[in-house]
Amino acid sequence: MNRALFRLSLACLAMFVLLLINVNYVQAFEGNSLADRPGNARTFNQQFQYQRGSIIAAGTGGPVTIAESRPAPGSTSGNTTYQRYYPGGPAYAPITGFDSIYGSTGIEEAYQKYLAGTASSLTVHNLISLLTGKPKQGATVYLTVSPKAQQAAYQALLSDGGHEAGVVALNPSTGAILAMASYPSFNPNRLTTLDGTKFVKIDNELLRDPAQPLLNRAINQTYPPGSSFKVITGSAGFSTGKVAGPTATVAAPQPLKLPNGNLLNNDGDETCFGGHPQVIQAFLLSCNTAFANIGMKVGGPALRTYANRFGWNDANLTIPMLVSPSVVPPITDPSYTAMTSIGQFDDQVTPLQEAMDAAAIANHGTLMRPYLLQQVQAPDLSIIGSTQPTVLSQAVSPQVASDMQQMMIQVTQNPAGTAYATAGPPAVGTSLVIAGKTGTAENTVSGAGLDDAVFTCFAPASDPKIAVGVIVKGGGFGADAAAPIAVKIIEAYLGVH
Amino acid sequence: MTTITSQPAGAAVPLPRGRRRTELLMLAFAVGVVLFAYANVGFGLNGKLPSGLVEYGLAFAVIIGIAHLAVRRFAPWADPLMLPLAALLNGLGIVMIYRLQQSGRNGNPGNQISTLSSSATAMQVLYSALGVAAFIAVLVFIREVRVLQRYTYTLGAAGLILLAIPAMLPSSMSEVPGTGAKIQIAVGGFSVQPEQFAELALAVFFAGYLVAKRDVLSLAGRRFLGIDLPRARDLGPVLIAWGVSLLLLVFESDIGTSALFFGLFVAMLYIATQRTSWLLIGVLLFVFGAYVASKLFSHVGTRFIVWLHPWAGDNPTHNAYQLVQGLEGMGFGGIFGTGLGHGQPFWTPLVQSDFIMTAFGEELGLTGLMAMLLIFGLLVQRGLRAAVAARDPFAKLLAGGLAFAVALQVFIIVGGVTQLIPLTGITTPFLSQGGSSLLATWALVGLLMRISDTARRPAPQPIQDEGMTQVVRAG
Repeated sequence: MNRALFRLSLACLAMFVLLLINVNYVQAFEGNSLADRPGNARTFNQQFQYQRGSIIAAGTGGPVTIAESRPAPGSTSGNTTYQRYYPGGPAYAPITGFDSIYGSTGIEEAYQKYLAGTASSLTVHNLISLLTGKPKQGATVYLTVSPKAQQAAYQALLSDGGHEAGVVALNPSTGAILAMASYPSFNPNRLTTLDGTKFVKIDNELLRDPAQPLLNRAINQTYPPGSSFKVITGSAGFSTGKVAGPTATVAAPQPLKLPNGNLLNNDGDETCFGGHPQVIQAFLLSCNTAFANIGMKVGGPALRTYANRFGWNDANLTIPMLVSPSVVPPITDPSYTAMTSIGQFDDQVTPLQEAMDAAAIANHGTLMRPYLLQQVQAPDLSIIGSTQPTVLSQAVSPQVASDMQQMMIQVTQNPAGTAYATAGPPAVGTSLVIAGKTGTAENTVSGAGLDDAVFTCFAPASDPKIAVGVIVKGGGFGADAAAPIAVKIIEAYLGVH
Repeated sequence: MTTITSQPAGAAVPLPRGRRRTELLMLAFAVGVVLFAYANVGFGLNGKLPSGLVEYGLAFAVIIGIAHLAVRRFAPWADPLMLPLAALLNGLGIVMIYRLQQSGRNGNPGNQISTLSSSATAMQVLYSALGVAAFIAVLVFIREVRVLQRYTYTLGAAGLILLAIPAMLPSSMSEVPGTGAKIQIAVGGFSVQPEQFAELALAVFFAGYLVAKRDVLSLAGRRFLGIDLPRARDLGPVLIAWGVSLLLLVFESDIGTSALFFGLFVAMLYIATQRTSWLLIGVLLFVFGAYVASKLFSHVGTRFIVWLHPWAGDNPTHNAYQLVQGLEGMGFGGIFGTGLGHGQPFWTPLVQSDFIMTAFGEELGLTGLMAMLLIFGLLVQRGLRAAVAARDPFAKLLAGGLAFAVALQVFIIVGGVTQLIPLTGITTPFLSQGGSSLLATWALVGLLMRISDTARRPAPQPIQDEGMTQVVRAG
């Protein structure tokens, strides 16, 4: 029987070896991904027992802490529970999001691994902490956000008379997001309660609020672009060669009879330089019929291709939060193409996309990928991650970008320009030159309400440091409602005034 | 050692040593590890020594000490490692149950485990005392395992009756809450799982029966594909064992125990006959039975689905919730674990029972879990060693079967909770909360130690005529 016993021992050995291999697979090989699975109550729960990393706005005017963990009121020293605190409140809410017992949003969600300290790059550090008996701590996330620009942006939206609005400011040469504000916003401190019932009550209240305070309008809400789309139409016209240059003449009848028989009017039904303006003149006056003609010459598909180069129709863009795509629908019909060219058909745009349009023009036609993360710093102060600016696309050639810059400068510097009064010398003096384009979209969605005001711009025109996109829903004229907001942000960021 | 020094001078016959001193040393080590782990739980949970350190520690040390004294008195030649290994596992089980019972109670962090009463630790210590009492009783009353051979059929019948009782009872009395398995007899607040004892009775029955019939069973019938198939008329016992395990599965929803019994029988049949064909027939019958059962009975089929697709619906209402929680806990623990008291094993439903190894995995990490598996492996190895050393075929068969049963039980439950095989609920030997399993496992270790003692006991020395004969040894 000993021979059989020997074989049976081998079977036992095999069973134990299988178990050992399997637990190695589960805990060593799969361990991190199991721990980080969404819905793993342990990882989630743990964040309130350890100090979560801070979020810091590290751009110009910073660093300013915009999210940090503090010991919760009433927690004892042996059993500390931490609670999140947002010193910036509603101004930074679209960026930070919030971290609650039932989930997180915004940066809190996107960089959960770093903030909670579960990222694999923090493993060695955590191990050292474990061995030295130090409490576990999350990594600090530094953002590109400029507190100066961000505060100015939120204050500008707040004092705008209660219109729903979103704004984004970018560094055109890197894509770094300098400001991102949304109105109406919410106070994330209300959602940090560790009391589940209380959280659900407040969360429901915010979710049911018709003003939708949780919606980040800067990246997750789209609006008709209106005339600000002429930046794309103009770029497409120059790039395709259908329009020779800014001084080329283009037909601008009032009204323009479209192929389908409908009539297209200029704003206020005014004639445009006698019906035969140069492109640059049509741009600064924002003549609809001139750009409708350019759009029809370029054609729907080509127009869409150039819009895509500026980042439109991209459903996968993340900053790291997912950005709602700005839409130029695929159309071939010339009449609809004409409407699209002036941003009045089914086009939809986010404030971020407006900023990206201006940033690409400002950066010699090169569109940089927008991003929020500057770097991640482990608790031992070592840098475990940072963003290298990357090119998202070459939207237009440097020559076309230069032509577009000239046209956008005229919008604010020519006394006839649509934004001369609100973003030109009368508003900002002669030392600062802002290049921009206004948009006033007829808002059929909002019914009887005022038009949506749009402004896309960059400054200083000679050496662009900041590009801004603003949309104010129901704000009225772009030049009146949106441009002043952009001006306030630019002035605060550049430190003029 | 006393046995050697009592030999007359000059007759230096090297006797095998009892090695009780080694056992004592290893026991001191085991108790030390357990006390350290217990203190660790207190520090992990609320930063200070746990309140019951002295009481529980003393109680545990005394229980183990008595076991050691009993071994010295009644089985002085027994294997010196089995008792320390069993004590270490038992002690770590108590520590983990204390840790689980504390979560959410007495100001400690975590969610309270509602299925674990606040007296669970005290009860587990009490069960350990009863288990050690059963262990001592085995050593005291069974001086030779051979005597059990006389009760082969009595114990066989007893085993079957013990197995059948829960199936006869209304589910209010026999169902383990929250599992659907009808495996216990619950009266008042007290419950017994008779199958734990049935395992021992049936192992004895199998050994007695197979020793008597092994010559017949080894007879070759037809040869097929290079394997000697047994004669058709000898298939009876295998089919009966198979049938019983299937009945168990159908009427008590107890897949794990069913697999354990059948595996035990096939392994013992193989040891007795040395015929690979029996092994093959057994495995094929089992696979066939499991397949048919998975198609016929939804609770068996569900186990397969959960095993293959645990992540399909990662929510509390899904069937895989328990398995998923266990795996996430182990992942959360990673290589070094969170440390005792620092993890969150309370998320896993019934973690104190079938899933207790995942709690160890979470708090002691991969390293701790591997160490514990190795302790189980060592225990199995010592049991198989006793089987090899035993001279009596009955004892040999019984020891081999019991050791294999421990290995198979660990494989079924640990493999189940780590997603290696479909999950079937059986207890983890020595660790899971509950008295029946602890009692039966201690009795099992008692039997193994008795067999080992008999095997290692030196043959009686002939009385030597001093001066007349000299033992001459070369080298």
